[in-house]
Amino acid sequence: MLSSGTGKMTAREEEQDGGVDELLAALGYKVRSSDMADVALKLEQLEMAMGSSAAQDDAFLSHLASDTVHYNPSDLSTWLESMLSELNTPPPPLPSASIPNHQSNHLDLPPVPAAAAPASMLDPAECSTVTTVDLPTPRRQSEYDLKSIPSAVTAGSGRIVYGPEPPVELNARDRKRMRTSSSSSSSSRGGIGVGVVGVGGMGPSMPSATEASSMVAGPAAGALPVVVVDSQEAGIRLVHTLMACAEAVQQENLKAADALVKQISVLAISQGGAMRKVAGYFAEALARRIYRVHPQQDCSLDSAFSDMLQMHFYESCPYLKFAHFTANQAILEAFAGCRRVHVIDFGMKQGMQWPALMQALALRPGGPPSFRLTGIGPPQPDNTDALQQVGWKLAQFADTIHVDFQYRGYVANSLADLEPCMLGAEGAAGGNNGGDEEPEAVAVNSVLELHRLLARPGALEKVLITVRAVRPRIVTVVEQEANHNAGSFLERFTEALHYYSTMFDSLEGGCTAAAAAAAEVTAGGGQQDRVMSEVYLGRQICNVVACEGAERTERHETLGQWLGRMTRSGFEPVHLGSNAFKQAGMLLALFAGGDGYRVEEKDGCLTLGWHTRPLIATSAWRVAGVGDALSAAR
Amino acid sequence: MEATVLPSEEEEEEERKNRFSINDDVDLLIEILERLDGRSLGVAACVCRLWSSVCRRDSVWEALCNRHVAGGGGGPGTRSVVAALGGYRRLYRLCVGPALDRLTGGPGRSGWASAATAAHLSLSLSLSLSLFSIDCYERLDGPQASLLFLCKPVNVP
Repeated sequence: MLSSGTGKMTAREEEQDGGVDELLAALGYKVRSSDMADVALKLEQLEMAMGSSAAQDDAFLSHLASDTVHYNPSDLSTWLESMLSELNTPPPPLPSASIPNHQSNHLDLPPVPAAAAPASMLDPAECSTVTTVDLPTPRRQSEYDLKSIPSAVTAGSGRIVYGPEPPVELNARDRKRMRTSSSSSSSSRGGIGVGVVGVGGMGPSMPSATEASSMVAGPAAGALPVVVVDSQEAGIRLVHTLMACAEAVQQENLKAADALVKQISVLAISQGGAMRKVAGYFAEALARRIYRVHPQQDCSLDSAFSDMLQMHFYESCPYLKFAHFTANQAILEAFAGCRRVHVIDFGMKQGMQWPALMQALALRPGGPPSFRLTGIGPPQPDNTDALQQVGWKLAQFADTIHVDFQYRGYVANSLADLEPCMLGAEGAAGGNNGGDEEPEAVAVNSVLELHRLLARPGALEKVLITVRAVRPRIVTVVEQEANHNAGSFLERFTEALHYYSTMFDSLEGGCTAAAAAAAEVTAGGGQQDRVMSEVYLGRQICNVVACEGAERTERHETLGQWLGRMTRSGFEPVHLGSNAFKQAGMLLALFAGGDGYRVEEKDGCLTLGWHTRPLIATSAWRVAGVGDALSAAR
Repeated sequence: MEATVLPSEEEEEEERKNRFSINDDVDLLIEILERLDGRSLGVAACVCRLWSSVCRRDSVWEALCNRHVAGGGGGPGTRSVVAALGGYRRLYRLCVGPALDRLTGGPGRSGWASAATAAHLSLSLSLSLSLFSIDCYERLDGPQASLLFLCKPVNVP
């Protein structure tokens, strides 16, 4: 991985002897090759000064960020001089604290790197690490690497070795290459640059030390004291590399992006648990985007396969159960007193939501209503009729609890293909039954389906018009609580990184579900659920990062954005009651690892999240202005 | 329960005539067992065949579930629905029992202690039944293959 492309690079470098270093120039930084050693030294000093002061005095950093004048960093040497003179602190012999100051389960991402120009200075140098290391030199490079790890990592023992000590041994030819890589290794190690605040570790179950560097050291281990890299520090580096790669992709700098993607894969190995998996999926998605792999995602995969993945996601964590439960509560309340009810489900899948609703209807005082269900699903490539099978199963269930049940399935490529007449619009007005029976009460339910419509302009509006035409008493909408649709690619990437990191964290933290199916689930089964859930999420990540245009269907939007869209289309929100809130809380208490989950109420909607981050939101709507008429008619 | 054995045989004979065995009065036995917690019921089921058959009765488990459910359980309609979904014993095993364990901080406590604390907890009946119905649904087999030819998909053009 490290050796690819090095031959070409080193030849080019030798040609540029005495001129501006070509690699850095390609990225906008003018550094003379002869100055590289100096620049490297100053970078280390600067980092030392900033690293130690950050540990002791946050105010100093913020002063740097706001009050000082920053010179143009493209002339690295003079920039460094000015920075150092401003700081005016000699580098202390030992840094007093490790760079990651706090261990949080959460990933605090740096602000969008575009805003912090000096921070991005670190990244192009990092890129050059990968491309300039030649096969005979990694040993020396890693030697240097190991010794210059902040001593805080090794619990205060050992010393920082900076400066010219190792390079003195090298000959002139290697020196330049050595400088390049040493400057980058030292700068990339620093997790703190100007403008980066509060980067924490990631993943609740991180090993305290890993053998990332000793892997690189390899045969040289015998001659060296073996020092291990703190995985937290590597975690920070990993995040920075991910961000840098995304930025490179946004700037269409595919060469840099390619190098960084490889770096991500190397760094990801040093991590454990959630972080490694997230980084892996994001790296793969970035690679797909960089290499323009077509189709960007394997869309030929069965919808049955993705249904299966979603089932495992359903079993392994409470998000979908919460969604079904809260939506059912809203539908149940809306159906109070109705003798005929009709539910339209925009994403039938396995129909896991409906047994609970039917049971609740069966236990209503006054007995169950007659229940009609219309299920919408995508076409199956192998002609099996999944929709009808689900319908049969639900009919069987309804039969056991003596609920009068009717079912109809519609196969549609997209929800926008639906017409109101198919959904029985006349039935709602009493047309179908000659008007002598009570009109049916209609509910429309959409769990993680509406955001796909945003890939085609106008599709969502058409669907909402169709929904209004059906005159539902209630429309329940469940969507991911994230903004993966607006803004630049980099913003989307950052958002997605934060969201899916939290999601994977929650999978790690609370993998087995309690109650109901738990008795049947063996330890191995729970593990399989989790792995398949990760694949499920990985496909979403791939879609968010690698795809564009009509292919990018995972266009998640926040609750606030959906509020805007629904109100513009003529709906008004229905508040989910406190009853739903309490029951949702109880549902979570049943999950192992349930302490991490949080139910919150927001503008009458309920959100479920992991610790402080909401991840999924349930909201309920009705057609604006009709509410009073309906309640009068009851 | 049988009285302690006395030393002399004559007195033993007397005692035997006056002994009362709980197994003589099944209704009384049911009344008592209905007040036990889940784990103790499991233990009780291992005592003898009579106790085992009593412990298998759904009414015993119904009483147990209703004790722990807010509102004391639903009406007769609830009973028929629960019976259709698999019975109270299964409901307890799959939903109410694990939920109680979760809420009292884990199984493994002595039966008496958990019974005392669990009495103050009340689960939501609707929540338990929702989870129970999902379990029942998952256990259903799909439609018989022979009947599938009757299904005709409706394709949206």
